[in-house]
Amino acid sequence: MSSSAGHTHHGEAHQKPLVGSMGVDSRKLGLWAFIGSETLFFATLILTHLIFYARTTNTLSSVGALELLDPRLGYLAIELTTVLATLLLASSLTMVLALAASKARDWKRFRFWQLATILLGASFVGGQIYEFIHLYHEGLKLAPAYEMHLSHEAYKALSALNIDPSIVRLKEAGEHATALVPSLFGVTFFVMTGFHGLHVTIGIIWLIAIYVKVLRFPESPENPMDIELGGLYWHFVDLVWVAIFTLIYLI
Amino acid sequence: MADHDTAVSHHEEHHEAHGTGFYWQVGGVLAVVTAAEVAAFVYRDLFGHVTFLILLFSLMFAKGIGVVLYFMHLRGDARIFQFVFIVPFTLAVSMVLAFLVLFSHHVGIAG
Repeated sequence: MSSSAGHTHHGEAHQKPLVGSMGVDSRKLGLWAFIGSETLFFATLILTHLIFYARTTNTLSSVGALELLDPRLGYLAIELTTVLATLLLASSLTMVLALAASKARDWKRFRFWQLATILLGASFVGGQIYEFIHLYHEGLKLAPAYEMHLSHEAYKALSALNIDPSIVRLKEAGEHATALVPSLFGVTFFVMTGFHGLHVTIGIIWLIAIYVKVLRFPESPENPMDIELGGLYWHFVDLVWVAIFTLIYLI
Repeated sequence: MADHDTAVSHHEEHHEAHGTGFYWQVGGVLAVVTAAEVAAFVYRDLFGHVTFLILLFSLMFAKGIGVVLYFMHLRGDARIFQFVFIVPFTLAVSMVLAFLVLFSHHVGIAG
């Protein structure tokens, strides 16, 4: 994308923007179109998760077991995800500050804010990996069933309901009791949040590439647009988390 | 071609109109909205279900609009950028709402 001519070390004439027939920078138009298509992609993943969650809760509700086996109440806590949402929101702020610094050609400030964005993004991914490992050990897996650990009282209450084993399978081994619930809640949850985490990881790699490029070629006239494009993508992954945080964790 | 270059420069200059103080203010507002979302969730028993949903959807859209307009600079940017984002976004929101109604208890096939 960046031509070698743009990486001038001698302050050559400013490179013209890649203006297409629409009168705007073609790379930016392409990225906005990509973001538009990604909006539909993530809407589909979120919607699929909501539908399969509704299917599970409808089934559990019909046999009177929802209160004890609701997967969202059983697994998804907001403490960690609130921290993750704050990290990503803060990274959006540092990203736009990095862009503002680049437009002012203040490369020292740019490096500070860009590095802050990368670190905040990496913290988000670390937090998400921690959440995934925690959920996996709790019984939520990338599999068409989830397992919930039950208290003695909950086990007795569910046993008394005589639920069809195809809906809820109860297991008791010594003092430990569990319920195995066939559901795609885990699959849709991990696919949706996993794809988002993958996008954040790609964004981090992109931001590191921009950081290194600006460090090596601080006089390149392409720098502000390169930073703006990376920033657009980064803000988009923040935008997706705004939706996931509310629709999946809070509602 | 010269007109195109001028147009691009004009849009890029528009971004510089906001100082860093403005971005801090937007970031602060978004943090407050996030805190309000979490507070609404923690104290959800104080609201009716419909009120809770309206409140959270409003806060979510406020945050999203803040990010898109001021961090992604869609406000004041070329109309073609607004078009290629808003059209699929509208389609996505319509699809989500239509399917949620279809799979709802009251109207559709209830999953």
